Amino acid sequence: MEFSEHIKTANVEDVVLRQPLHPPSRGTLCITGHHLLFSDREEGSSRQVLLLLRNIDAIEKSVENLLGYSGFFSNAGLSERMSGSSGTITIKCKDLRVLQLDIPGMEQCLNIAHSIETLSCLDCVSEMYPFFYRPADLSLQDQWGLSTPEKHYSQMKELCERWRLSSVNRDYSVCPSYPSAVIVPNSIDDSTLKKVAKFRQGGRFPVLCYYHKKNGMVIMRSSQPLMGANRKRCKEDELLLQAVIDGSDKGYIIDTRSSQQAQQARMTGGGFESKSCYSHWKRLHRQMDRGKALQESLIKLVEACGDESNNMDRWLSKLENSKWLSHVQTALSTAGLLAECVERDGHSVLVHGSEGTDSSLLISTLAQLIMDPCCRTLDGFLALLEREWLQAGHPFQQRCARSAYSHARLQQESPVFLLLLDCVWQLWRQFPLALGFSEALLIRLATEVYASDYGTFLCNSDQERCAMGIKDKTHCLFQALLRPGERDFYSNPLYEPTELAIWPSVHPQSLQLWRGFFLRWTQQARHLEEAQEEIRNMLIEWGKLALS
Amino acid sequence: MASPVSVYNSNALDAHIASTPRESLKMELLADVSLLPGEERIIDKDIIYMCHFNGAVKGKVLITNYRLYFKSSDADVTVMLDVPLGAISRVEKMGGASSRGENSYGLDITCKDMRNLKFALKQEGHSRRDIFDLLFRHAFPLSHGLPLFAYVTQEKYAENGWNIYKPVEEFRRQGLPNNKWRITFINKSYDLCDTYPTVLAVPFKSKEEDLRRVAAFRSKGRIPVLSWIHRENQAVIVRCSQPLVGMSGKRNRDDERYLDLIREANDTTKLTIYDARPSVNAVANKATGGGYEGDEYQNAELIFLDIQNIHVMRESLKKLKDIVYPNVEESHWLSSLESTHWLEHVKLVLSGAIQVADKVSSGNSVVVHCSDGWDRTAQLTSLAMLMLDSHYRTLRGFQGLIEKEWISFGHKFASRIGHGDKNHADQDRSPIFVQFIDCVWQMTKQFPTAFEFNEHLLLTILDHLYSCRFGTFLYNCESARDQHEVRSKTVSLWSLVNSKMDIYLNPFYTPESGRVLYPVASMRHLELWVTYYIRWNPRIRQQQSPVEQRYKELLALRDEYLKKLEQLQLSDSSTSSRLANSPTPNTSSNTSPSQQYTHLHTPF
Repeated sequence: MEFSEHIKTANVEDVVLRQPLHPPSRGTLCITGHHLLFSDREEGSSRQVLLLLRNIDAIEKSVENLLGYSGFFSNAGLSERMSGSSGTITIKCKDLRVLQLDIPGMEQCLNIAHSIETLSCLDCVSEMYPFFYRPADLSLQDQWGLSTPEKHYSQMKELCERWRLSSVNRDYSVCPSYPSAVIVPNSIDDSTLKKVAKFRQGGRFPVLCYYHKKNGMVIMRSSQPLMGANRKRCKEDELLLQAVIDGSDKGYIIDTRSSQQAQQARMTGGGFESKSCYSHWKRLHRQMDRGKALQESLIKLVEACGDESNNMDRWLSKLENSKWLSHVQTALSTAGLLAECVERDGHSVLVHGSEGTDSSLLISTLAQLIMDPCCRTLDGFLALLEREWLQAGHPFQQRCARSAYSHARLQQESPVFLLLLDCVWQLWRQFPLALGFSEALLIRLATEVYASDYGTFLCNSDQERCAMGIKDKTHCLFQALLRPGERDFYSNPLYEPTELAIWPSVHPQSLQLWRGFFLRWTQQARHLEEAQEEIRNMLIEWGKLALS
Repeated sequence: MASPVSVYNSNALDAHIASTPRESLKMELLADVSLLPGEERIIDKDIIYMCHFNGAVKGKVLITNYRLYFKSSDADVTVMLDVPLGAISRVEKMGGASSRGENSYGLDITCKDMRNLKFALKQEGHSRRDIFDLLFRHAFPLSHGLPLFAYVTQEKYAENGWNIYKPVEEFRRQGLPNNKWRITFINKSYDLCDTYPTVLAVPFKSKEEDLRRVAAFRSKGRIPVLSWIHRENQAVIVRCSQPLVGMSGKRNRDDERYLDLIREANDTTKLTIYDARPSVNAVANKATGGGYEGDEYQNAELIFLDIQNIHVMRESLKKLKDIVYPNVEESHWLSSLESTHWLEHVKLVLSGAIQVADKVSSGNSVVVHCSDGWDRTAQLTSLAMLMLDSHYRTLRGFQGLIEKEWISFGHKFASRIGHGDKNHADQDRSPIFVQFIDCVWQMTKQFPTAFEFNEHLLLTILDHLYSCRFGTFLYNCESARDQHEVRSKTVSLWSLVNSKMDIYLNPFYTPESGRVLYPVASMRHLELWVTYYIRWNPRIRQQQSPVEQRYKELLALRDEYLKKLEQLQLSDSSTSSRLANSPTPNTSSNTSPSQQYTHLHTPF
């Protein structure tokens, strides 16, 4: 394999590893094509640290020539080369862990650093670890994913009266980022859809993503209409939207841009649904930051969280300045508005911003959690993510290539999915009984989305995943999370289903920093994790005995 | 209207809660108030409650000798207020007979518990004169020669809460007296120190006349006495007031020798004195005759903990109130919160207590004082004891801790709270005890299984800190309580609590007798106690009731579990090892303090 050409030094002895929550330890460091492996040589303890290179966001190296290198264990027997040069590599991971390796020998240190730098950001999907991960207890023949658009459609009997499953996109030619089957109004045929697709950015024509059983109203999502500077119209697009609200007096369009931004989008060929052409639709603009703004916010937040210099020093101001919590607030309140339109006001809603692959998915997902009890179980939530993020074409590979520590020039990176998980955590905190999954699940997902043994979050769309053979050559994270042992761990022991909508409070006073994730490598987060575990075991124990 | 009425829509008003006028309330509407035994109606009246959240609400107000009760008369708006008069700090007239504008004439009431209430009345015929006068009299009974409600109530409870704390029993629980520490009744008639309890634990070798000489050198006679002793390493927490060093730098050999006796008692080389104040304040205190222990105290080290005084704390909480009531600060919430410094003060108190606990658990005795030793000192010693001794983390143990470190050692509740006193601007008032409860809440958040009691207990304690319904928090010290026969004439708050324990219990409590809790006192890990400070805002309130209901069910499930476990045990004694690790409800007050202390890494 070609990985070997990037590995000049595969093994180094006498390396000292420093990592959070553990005392420093000395051992052997080993670099493979996908992993960094550290094995502890201390007597009485054999600890191993296995780190996916993909998890590494940034490294910093410093080498020095030292006479009389004094490592952490100054009285340990020093090998010869330690009295010469040495180096230190600081590894900053996408799961926010920071590790430090003290490596004897300058050359070895540089070799290791070079290997990590190269191997941690290989772009070729088929060379990534999920294609090599073959655990004994999983088979590639196992079912991949939880559901399909077809299954989803057939499970909702209420739909068939007015909605149909279209396979106009079966070869991904109409919209490359959509799945092969989508749900659209009955009265709109495939040739109309093709025309609509040409009028929407990236071909993302309006499709149904949620049907509210209580009143038959729906959430649709799409990308922006390609109205352009000369206010182009598309009769088919207007027809499609009219068919959505057939029999109702109006619908709402939630545009995740400010109206000014929407106006400006016309200059680059985009636009919005004008009042004159879509007279039964009422547009509501809610500006949601995305892309670079979000990524920079994450960087500032993580920097503030990691700043150990003086913890008295204006922490709250730093937290505020990162704006992360205000992004959380905007997302939750826009989702709340969306859910209100559907549940309280009784109207259908179309959601889009510009591309319709980020903020739109964020708020449609949150709104479904708010309204639909089926999405709040462990299985239901994972199925929701599969539908609204994987099948709906959130470009995971572009968005999650780098995280908060990377010095590389940002391209398409943006932590939209992490923002979703944070918002879900806020819901979870405000409604401790209403969600069937645990905080541990959210933390696990936040880690897996950046670096994973599984193929689930690889690629940018269904089409790409098909082309790469992800479903045949990698294992599915969601299936793995639902195995019996894991299922217990990722379930909320306090879960008590409620049919009611869970309306989050979005005041800044009601929102908290997600410490379980952003401060997860601190002693305190560890304590709380242990306490959660204790509570889980307690409840399981009581439950068992009560049944016996 | 174009867009739906929305709480997520910043432009929308709360139009859906605005009330429509109805015929005035009939007296029956007030029939559902269940008055306490001994509670009597003073006046009732049609009134408009100027609710900060729902707008003007018509209804009826009832004032008794205990509470102000309001209920809306509109069927579609249920607004209810039930405020103990003790919670009121200030009553003012709003507007005059000639004031223009709707609802501009009435009463403006400021409460001690983070809220304000406004009522509007009809302008004609001096309609507010009687209600103002009566409310003023009964809200501030001590300023009007009336008794506090605690002396009027006829409530009866199954348990007598005054028995929760008996000093000698508590010392015995700690293993005292022993060959190093003795119990003295030198203060039985409060002539050594009138703000101390009658029963004190002092070094075995100290003689009664030593104590009197030391008392002369300590502010208000508050000599160093033992609060807590570590079973294994015999390290102690000793509390006192500042030494009377003064400008001239006076020395007192007896005081020096006395502190050395404390050090000697567990054979350590150094005694650590924690002065809770910032060092500049300690220096400044010399000007008024106070000061701190200098180099003349050999074998002692002095550490300042930088905690600010009662005035700073009062202003800080006032600033906090400004940003949460009636309107919560929205746009710059975190930096506004930061500028109140409230969490920073909480952090300093907690980290001071952590240092005390850490020192003691590593085998060194400590002396804790501030100026008078009844505010910051009580915070530090009680929090450190909560960290060190799991007994205090039980429901009854916590009551004992408050009785001991706060009530018996003379935290000046009457002055700090201003029970029944109309002087709302009194500079002696300060939320020191609230801050302590806040610190406890922070600990319960960080250690969700370590406390037998739940948040509801903390809220109940704070509510009755002001209510004057129970004798527990009345007066400044034991001597005043004796004089006013508090124990025989009033009911203890713990009578209420212990007669209905299950609502105050944490279903996830797991006793771990050996565990020392070190909370993280970093700003990153502290949270504003929203469910206390912002609980009056209906828009912030989160769904409490289903959670409480679920916890209640879980408690029942746990009891069921324990019962079954017990049965299993009877039939199979081999499982007995499991019981030792399982939670036991309501651990009685006689559990001994920890046997094994784990020495954790202290993060601060």
